[in-house]
Amino acid sequence: MGGPLLKAEAIRAGYGPIEALKGLSLSVAPGEIVTLIGANGAGKSSTLLCISGIHPIRSGAIHFDGERIDKLPAHDIVKRGLVQVPEGRRIFPRLTVLENLQLGAYLRKDLDGIKNDFERVFALFPILAERRAQAGGTLSGGEQQMLAIGRAVMSKPRLLLMDEPSMGIAPVLTAKIFDTIRELNQQGLTILLVEQNAHLALQLAQRAYVLETGQIVLEGPAQELLADPRVRKSYLGEE
Amino acid sequence: MGARGGIWPAVYARMHWILLGLAALLPAVDLLLPPEFRLADLVRPIFIFAVLGMGLNIVTGFTGLLNLGVAAFMAIGAYTYAIATCDIYPFQLGFWTALPLTIAVGAAAGIILGLPTIRLKGDYLAIVTMGFGEMVQDSLKNLDVITKGTQGINPLPSPTLFGYVFKPETPLPWYYLFLALLAVVVLLTRNLERSRIGRTWASIREDELAATCMGINSMKAKLLAFAIGASFCSMAGGLWGAYLGSSGEPGNYDFQISIIALCIVIVGGMGSVSGVLLGAFVMIGFNAILLTKLTAFLAQHGWTSSDNVFTSPSNWKYMMFGLALILMMRFKPEGLLPSRRVKAELHEYDKDVPRQAGGATT
Ligand SMILES: Nc1ncnc2c1ncn2[C@@H]1O[C@H](COP(=O)(O)OP(=O)(O)OP(=O)(O)O)[C@@H](O)[C@H]1O
Ligand SMILES: [Mg+2]
Repeated sequence: MGGPLLKAEAIRAGYGPIEALKGLSLSVAPGEIVTLIGANGAGKSSTLLCISGIHPIRSGAIHFDGERIDKLPAHDIVKRGLVQVPEGRRIFPRLTVLENLQLGAYLRKDLDGIKNDFERVFALFPILAERRAQAGGTLSGGEQQMLAIGRAVMSKPRLLLMDEPSMGIAPVLTAKIFDTIRELNQQGLTILLVEQNAHLALQLAQRAYVLETGQIVLEGPAQELLADPRVRKSYLGEE
Repeated sequence: MGARGGIWPAVYARMHWILLGLAALLPAVDLLLPPEFRLADLVRPIFIFAVLGMGLNIVTGFTGLLNLGVAAFMAIGAYTYAIATCDIYPFQLGFWTALPLTIAVGAAAGIILGLPTIRLKGDYLAIVTMGFGEMVQDSLKNLDVITKGTQGINPLPSPTLFGYVFKPETPLPWYYLFLALLAVVVLLTRNLERSRIGRTWASIREDELAATCMGINSMKAKLLAFAIGASFCSMAGGLWGAYLGSSGEPGNYDFQISIIALCIVIVGGMGSVSGVLLGAFVMIGFNAILLTKLTAFLAQHGWTSSDNVFTSPSNWKYMMFGLALILMMRFKPEGLLPSRRVKAELHEYDKDVPRQAGGATT
């Protein structure tokens, strides 16, 4: 303990000739909510995909809980407790809500723990309990986001990566989802949150990174960035 | 099918057992019919193709990988069975040893095809499996030292069970032998579907990236689907060999067989076990029963002759298969007996998706 839970050092990654990440470094300490904000195409999703081992990095290193993970296959990384809620929710549309949640607990063997976590998810999102037998694809966008978060919680993560949970969701629901993220954090979950809604994200997080074309251009306590004139201009829509 | 409550969902969930039960009763019904209308003799290929369809359904229906080469696995099964049993080879195993061997060889062939190709996506995988089908056919033709080339391997000894010998001229015991083996395959498939691996396959079919995010090793799960699917297809080949008393010739296991298997799965309902059974009854029944009877009937009345290709219904069958597929895709794309999951997707926008009887499935 003592060290960061997640540490990415000078990672580079890309798609063919396109360089999406140009030597990006960031770290997340246990218990924190850290947010990564940036415009469209800045490389936010690429960062999370690389951390999760879904997209390979070209150079640099990623450590999780002191161990190097950037050569591991994605499913081994999940096994260590590093779990992602991917961009666009990506629930399993034809499987029931219950089956979606069961798949979240795919790697777990502790039946009692799984049962408790079902209760926990249903307490966080009562609507999911109501819709448990319904196909995931028939839920509304907001409910699908809740399901995606619930599914990730079922895998008992130690670090949760979330890619734009507010995407395409009405403001009321976004507020509800952000409340849940705070609640999960208070229950001890460490979170790395990617957002375009910089205002909400900076209010929620303790620390933040600003990403521009594959590089971190600003970092610091979220409250400070919220007051930073450059952030206010580029990301909070102020002149 | 509007009935929501009542016993319908429970009946629907057991439709595969109902279909198998009806098949078990068919020979009894036959006794009441005049000899020229008896069906049971003709039904045996249906059982074998149903086993083939079950194998393809695991790969294509459950896991979502389009496989256009199942004929190859059927051929591998038929030839494995023939080499294991025929008295011109040193092995001369009995049916009950040769059949498990056939299944094991099929699984190995599935893994051999799967290992280098499983990373390919969608269309590319389909094309490779198609190529594999052609390759196996050609290899069987060219390895004539072992496979007897285009002659095929025959005759094969009759299966025996507790001293009873299944003779070609007594169809009824064969009927129940194949039906019983099909029932075992159905039972296994249903258990797979409802188990953890079944849910894993479904998740990969739905969204592979999301499945990976759940910690699923999708390569391993796909390879397992390939191996199990191929083992069923190979078993169908072994049964076909036993039924014919011959391996058949390599050309019997051509692309058309793979397409017929695909039609069975699509017409019945992708990912639906009862659908595959019904699909086999419909597709092969049409071919083996209706066309045969119709051709015989027309010939008997002098309305057609074997030298007029246009008036023989058998020559129309592929057009009719094609037409059946087109109509199916247009009006009932989820198949005759759709799986709950596939139906949910195709009718995603009617909010009226049926709820599962009794809530949770495990
Ligand atoms: N599969 C891909 N193939 C090619 N280029 C890609 C691919 N995915 C992302 N890119 C490119 O990499 C860059 C970073 O993309 P990324 O998805 O990480 O951005 P983002 O910050 O998540 O954007 P958004 O806010 O729109 O989600 C972009 O220029 C994008 O076009
Ligand atoms: Mg993104």
